[in-house]
Amino acid sequence: MSDLAIELASVVKTYPFFTLDHIHLQVPHGQIMGLIGPNGAGKSTTIRILMGLVQQDRGEVRVLGRRMPAEQIAAKWDIGFASEDMRLYEGMTLAWHMEFIRSIYPNWDARYAQLLLKRFGLRAEQKIKGLSHGQRVKATLLLVLARRPRLLVLDEPTTGLDPVARHEILKELTAVMTDEGRSVLFSSHNTQDVEQISDRITFIDRGRIIDSMDKEAYLDRWRRLRLEVPSGMALPALPGIIGIRQDGRVAVATANAFAPDMANAYESTGARVKSIETMTLEEIFVANVEHSREQEVEA
Amino acid sequence: MSSRVIQTLILKDWRLHRMHILMSLAAGVVALALLQVKGESTFLVGTVWFFVSLIVLGSMVPVSNVVNERKKQNLAFLMSLPVSAVQYAIAKMASTIGLFLLPWGVLVIAASTFVMSRADIPKGIVPLMLILFGLPLVGFCLIAATALVSESEGFTVAATIVCNSWYGLVWYFIIRNPAINGDLTSPVPVWSPTVLTILTGEAAAVALILGVTFYLQSRKREFV
Repeated sequence: MSDLAIELASVVKTYPFFTLDHIHLQVPHGQIMGLIGPNGAGKSTTIRILMGLVQQDRGEVRVLGRRMPAEQIAAKWDIGFASEDMRLYEGMTLAWHMEFIRSIYPNWDARYAQLLLKRFGLRAEQKIKGLSHGQRVKATLLLVLARRPRLLVLDEPTTGLDPVARHEILKELTAVMTDEGRSVLFSSHNTQDVEQISDRITFIDRGRIIDSMDKEAYLDRWRRLRLEVPSGMALPALPGIIGIRQDGRVAVATANAFAPDMANAYESTGARVKSIETMTLEEIFVANVEHSREQEVEA
Repeated sequence: MSSRVIQTLILKDWRLHRMHILMSLAAGVVALALLQVKGESTFLVGTVWFFVSLIVLGSMVPVSNVVNERKKQNLAFLMSLPVSAVQYAIAKMASTIGLFLLPWGVLVIAASTFVMSRADIPKGIVPLMLILFGLPLVGFCLIAATALVSESEGFTVAATIVCNSWYGLVWYFIIRNPAINGDLTSPVPVWSPTVLTILTGEAAAVALILGVTFYLQSRKREFV
C-alpha cells in the first residue's frame, strides 16, 4: 500500500476563465496538510477533483490508494468530507441526519456522536433550519467525524464562524488528530486556523501550487530584514531574497531561504541591518503570492 | 453494499417528500368522491380536480426532489457519501419516478375501478381515460428529465409551463378525434388502432425520455 493518503500528479482542469494548472500534491498518511489560497485560487476545485465530484481533464488522482474518480465509491467509505458550501436538509432534525448517516456507514460511532453533541452544544431533536451558521458547521462535522473516517477533507470549514465556534472546531479537530493513522486535508484562506493544526502547508494561487513544505520549515526559512541603505544606493537582491521594498534610505528585504550570513552580506554592501524579524504564516502567504504573481507577470 | 446506499438514498427522498404523496393522494381521493355525487357539474369539477392533482404532482416532484437539492446545496452532502455520480443519478431518477408513479398509479387504479364499478358510465370511456392518464405521466417525465439534466430551476419551470399548456391542446385534439370519441358510449372498451397507437406512443415517449436522461446523466463530468 502507498504511504500517501492523497496523491495528485499533473492534474489539469480547464474552465472558460480558470485553469487548474498541473497540480502536484502529496499528503502522507497521518499528516495534516493545510491548503491555503486566496478566494478563487483553486482550493475547492482541487478538493472536488480529489473527492471525485469533478473529473480532471488530465493527470492522476489517488486517494487512499484508489484512483479517482473511477474508484470513488470504495474511497469514499473512508473519507469524511465537509465543505463550506455543504448544507444539510433544513426541514429535518440533526437526529434524522445522524440516523441517515448511521444507516450507511457501519463504522458509525454512536457513543462518539453523543459525545460530540455535548461538546458542540447541539440538540439532536432540533431542526437544521433552527441552527445558527456555527451550529450547522458543527452538525456537519459531527456527521463526518462520527463515521470515523481514515481521511478528513475539509474545505473552508471555519469560514464565517465566530472566534468561539472556530476555537471549538479546531480543538475537536486537534483531538481527532491524536489518532496518528488519520490524515487531513484542510483548506482555508484563514492562515491562523491552518497554522494551528497543520503539519505541512501548501500555498495555491491562480490555479497553481506555488509552494509546499513543512510548517516549521516555512517559519524557519522566511525572514524580513529591515535595513538602512546609504544615500543613492539601491539594495541588491541576494540569493534567497524574493522581494525588496525601498523608500529612500529605508529598505525591507523578504527572504524565503534565510541564512544568517545574509546579514553579513548586506553589511558588506554598506547597508546596515537594523532588525531581522520572523514572519507569521499570513505574512509568508501574502509575500509568497505576491512573489509568484510578479514572476508570472515577468514570464 | 452500493445498492444498499442507492436504496437508502431513494428511501431518504421518499421520507422527505411523503407529504407530497399524501397531499396528492388526498386531492385525488376528494376528486373521486366528487365523481360519486350525481350531477354533471360535480362530475366535471371532479374530473378537472383529478387531473389537476396529477398535473400539479408531476410539476412539483421534479422541482422539490431534484432542483431544490442543488439549489439548497444538499448535493455536496450527498455526493460525499460512498456513491458515484451514476449511482446518484439512478437513485434520483428512481425516487423521482417513484414519487410520481405511486400516487399516479393509486389514482389511476382507483379511477378505473370507479368507472368499471359504475353501471351508468359506458365502458367505452376506458381507452380515452387511459390515454388522458398517460399524458401527465409523459409530461412528468419531460419535466423530471429537464430537472435532472439541467439541474436548473429556470429550465424546469419552462418545461413545466410548456407541458402544462400543452395538455389542454392535446386533450382537445384527442377528444375531438372521431376514432376515439366515436366509441365513448360503447358498452365495452374499444381498442382501436388509433387508441393503441397513442398508448404505444405515450409508452415509447416515457421510455425514450428516461433512456436519454439516464444516458446524459451517466456522461456528466461534474456533479457539484
